[in-house]
Amino acid sequence: MEEKTIQRRDFLKFLVLGSVAAGGLRLARLTSASETGGSSPYRWGMVIDQDKCTGCGQCTLACRAHNDVPPEISWNRVLEAGKVGDKQVYLPRPCMHCEEAPCVDACMVGASYQRADGIVMMDYDKCIGCRYCEVACPYGARAFNWETFDGPNPAVPEWGQPEVERRPRGVVEKCSFCYQRIDRGLKLGLKPGVDEEATPACVVECPMGARKFGDLNDPESEVSILIKDHPYFQLREDLGTSPRVFYLPAREEAA
Amino acid sequence: MIRIKRFTIQPVHFWIAFLMLLVGAGLVAYGIVLVKGLSVTNLSDLVPWGLWITIDLSAIALSAGAFTLCAVVYLLGLKQYEPVARTATFVGLIGYSMALLTLLLDIGRPDRFWHALVYWNTHSLLWEVSMCLTLYLCVLLLETAPLIGRTDWMQARFPWLSNKMMHIHHFAPFLALLGLGLSMLHQSSLGATYGVLIARPIWYKPSLSVLFMFSAIVGGPALTVLITKVSGRLTSRAKVDDSLLEKITLFIGWALVGYIYFRFWDAFSMTYTYEPGRTEALRMMTSGPLAFNFLVGEMLLGAIIPAILLLVPRFRKSWSAQVIALSLIVAGVVAYRWDINMSGLLVVLTYLPQEVTTIYTTYFPSLIEIISGVGVVAYGALAITLAVRYLNLVDHSGKEKEVVETPVVVAGTD
Repeated sequence: MEEKTIQRRDFLKFLVLGSVAAGGLRLARLTSASETGGSSPYRWGMVIDQDKCTGCGQCTLACRAHNDVPPEISWNRVLEAGKVGDKQVYLPRPCMHCEEAPCVDACMVGASYQRADGIVMMDYDKCIGCRYCEVACPYGARAFNWETFDGPNPAVPEWGQPEVERRPRGVVEKCSFCYQRIDRGLKLGLKPGVDEEATPACVVECPMGARKFGDLNDPESEVSILIKDHPYFQLREDLGTSPRVFYLPAREEAA
Repeated sequence: MIRIKRFTIQPVHFWIAFLMLLVGAGLVAYGIVLVKGLSVTNLSDLVPWGLWITIDLSAIALSAGAFTLCAVVYLLGLKQYEPVARTATFVGLIGYSMALLTLLLDIGRPDRFWHALVYWNTHSLLWEVSMCLTLYLCVLLLETAPLIGRTDWMQARFPWLSNKMMHIHHFAPFLALLGLGLSMLHQSSLGATYGVLIARPIWYKPSLSVLFMFSAIVGGPALTVLITKVSGRLTSRAKVDDSLLEKITLFIGWALVGYIYFRFWDAFSMTYTYEPGRTEALRMMTSGPLAFNFLVGEMLLGAIIPAILLLVPRFRKSWSAQVIALSLIVAGVVAYRWDINMSGLLVVLTYLPQEVTTIYTTYFPSLIEIISGVGVVAYGALAITLAVRYLNLVDHSGKEKEVVETPVVVAGTD
């Protein structure tokens, strides 16, 4: 009998200790998790017109300079995408900022997260570099910092000045829709997509005007009107990720 | 008075020296990786996971003997297997520490390993895996404590601590239950880690979690029995009761048959239609660069032949046939993990709208990856060897029973 009560007491101790430990972890988590909630009147999106893109790659260079991206990484690649008629067609590929982003679900520490305005962000201070998000992204939009980027950036100053902090070795990085330009612009009363200072660098730099940026919630914005009036496609729509980058396909008559 | 024992060099000393050499080389490689970063590997943005993740997954799978045998002993109540479960628990502890060592190497920011526990994204499979892993490691530490507590050295030097450590044995059924839950969760979630990724068609299916679980239940006990049998043959310090192991090997054999059935349908029921990415990856496993590993390594040597060796009574009676079969199963589990990881990474689906095509990538681990990986494995082998020699890891003689029961009286009267 006596033995039994002791065992029960010990078992209770065991339970209490266990729940205290779990509670402690929970508390630590609550005090440290970055807030991804809240609401925003905006839903940022990009429209890329393949008829206008000539594959010059200036968007990539502008992106490298403004976001201080190392030369071996491209947040924004320009791929050859077949031909329409005799014309070579290109496909610029930034991060899709998916509504249902596989990388956000995959990230175990919540370093990939979605802002209320839809931008899929990276918290470089949280990322542990496990690279699960790279495996999860269907668009190859993510790049790992295999090495420290400590030299001068060859794209600076010709293509712009860095606006964000350089990422350390060992974390994954990707396109952020130039959130720093959007946030700063909004504070100054500017309109992203209209005012250059508040618009992603690749959109501003494109010499052909092939890229448009704006608020998908605003029916009057240029992007909303473009996708209302034109046939468009998104990359790998079949996956159900709902990308916020819309492409206007190249047409034969325009070639 | 110190009595000097005469020291004679035995073959085991060469074995230990050899392992220490490998561990040393591994440590150097480990240091190089920590200092220079992951650029010393052959990993890339297209193949971000390679040899280390395979070692990591295999070590966890092969540690599954701990929860399987503990469940058999403490939840099904088959007390006679208790000494085998004890071996399995220690093997599990070493296996999980190997996994953690490899993981630490594999992440880009090892200094932030604790983020996995503090920052939670409950949607992530890897979050669940890292939670279960940490909690299960605690369970394994508690389960192993009596094994260390009952050594003569501990009893002589720290009698109080030794008593406490042995006292934990009373909670064995609770720990077994907890271990069963945590293990089933993360063993299958490791499969689901791959299985939920819609970007990789060959992985995107529910069966991966089932197969990871199933192969762990086959491979874990196989490694435990293998270690037991080999140490029983090599040293008099291991006291092996072969009749105990007989039933376990039979169980492994039949479980293997079940696994072959599931794996067969998992692999070949995909072929009815062409699906971009998935069909290419499957072709890679049947006639491409993974074909030898899949058909010969994983299926023929890793599953079919050991099933025959373990289920035909004539073979099962032979020590060497059993040891060969169990080694093949262990290697087969590793081959399975390699095939799963590589088949999804060597075929990448493009996202171009007009032409959803596949591109092929290549990967072969760099020397640093191999040396550090071998170092981790050698550490595991060294820990097991030393435990067999000094912790009575393998002891089916039943002598330890009375030692364990002593503290019950102590606990009851205080």
